[in-house]
Amino acid sequence: MPALEAKYRALSLELHPDRQADPKARRLAVDKTATLNDGLKVLRDPVKRAFYLLKLKGVDLERDEAGEQRQMPIEFLEEVMDRREALDAVRAAKDVPRAQAMAAEVEGLKAQALEQAQKALTADAVKEATHQLGRVRYFTRFLEEVEAIEEEALAAP
Amino acid sequence: MAYSDKVLEHYEKPRNVGTLDKDDPNVGTGLVGAPACGDVMRLQLKVSDAGIIQDARFKTFGCGSAIASSSLVTEWVKGKTLEEAGKITNVEVAKELSLPPVKIHCSVLAEDAIKAAIADFQKKRAARATPATAAAATAETVK
Repeated sequence: MPALEAKYRALSLELHPDRQADPKARRLAVDKTATLNDGLKVLRDPVKRAFYLLKLKGVDLERDEAGEQRQMPIEFLEEVMDRREALDAVRAAKDVPRAQAMAAEVEGLKAQALEQAQKALTADAVKEATHQLGRVRYFTRFLEEVEAIEEEALAAP
Repeated sequence: MAYSDKVLEHYEKPRNVGTLDKDDPNVGTGLVGAPACGDVMRLQLKVSDAGIIQDARFKTFGCGSAIASSSLVTEWVKGKTLEEAGKITNVEVAKELSLPPVKIHCSVLAEDAIKAAIADFQKKRAARATPATAAAATAETVK
């Protein structure tokens, strides 16, 4: 990571638009800097990084079409459905501590899935990596819902 | 991005939200998900012995377009035969709801959910048939 930050600083100084007098070169420098910043965001975030590595291996989970290889096992979808229904009940009851307890459990599952995905990516096991990152995506959505519940509780105590 | 009026209409007043007994032999359950967004959709069909869809229920955790797509198809499938329902395409759903290209996958999910529910019902019906008729049916398909 320190190497990444150092490299980023060096490149960002080198590409900085202020170094360009010519308007055309300046615009190009703005574009390159934007690309550099996007790249840093991906590399810094372990989840984004894993999704990007999977994309390099030919599976783009960001894309919308639900392809065959992106199909999750039915047992997992059932688990997601159960968790989301339970969270709905907690939301109706405005039970924020319970929602947070559920989030803590899902955080753990997400971390495990990400670790499995990283291992699979290293081993070039694309199918397994796709499966685990699919899990990461569902768990992330769950955690976003918990955040929304927390915000609702803050907005209307 | 703004939702179309029809999406908002279904989102605010979703039709047929709920659950049917998944152990009922006349109920087929379809459960599908989209890892692109983390949405999950459950669609259930209650089918008469004559093969007509009498009732439909859905539960969707997802964006407004996913909720509207599933709400719309529960309305569409009622009164249809399984064959007719199986022919509903995501294109029709997307058109009816004026879904923008980034939300087309929500309508795909709804189409997949109908197909999954039909497949589940047919699997149940085949299992319900006596082993002899089931074997005969298999022999029929093989021919």
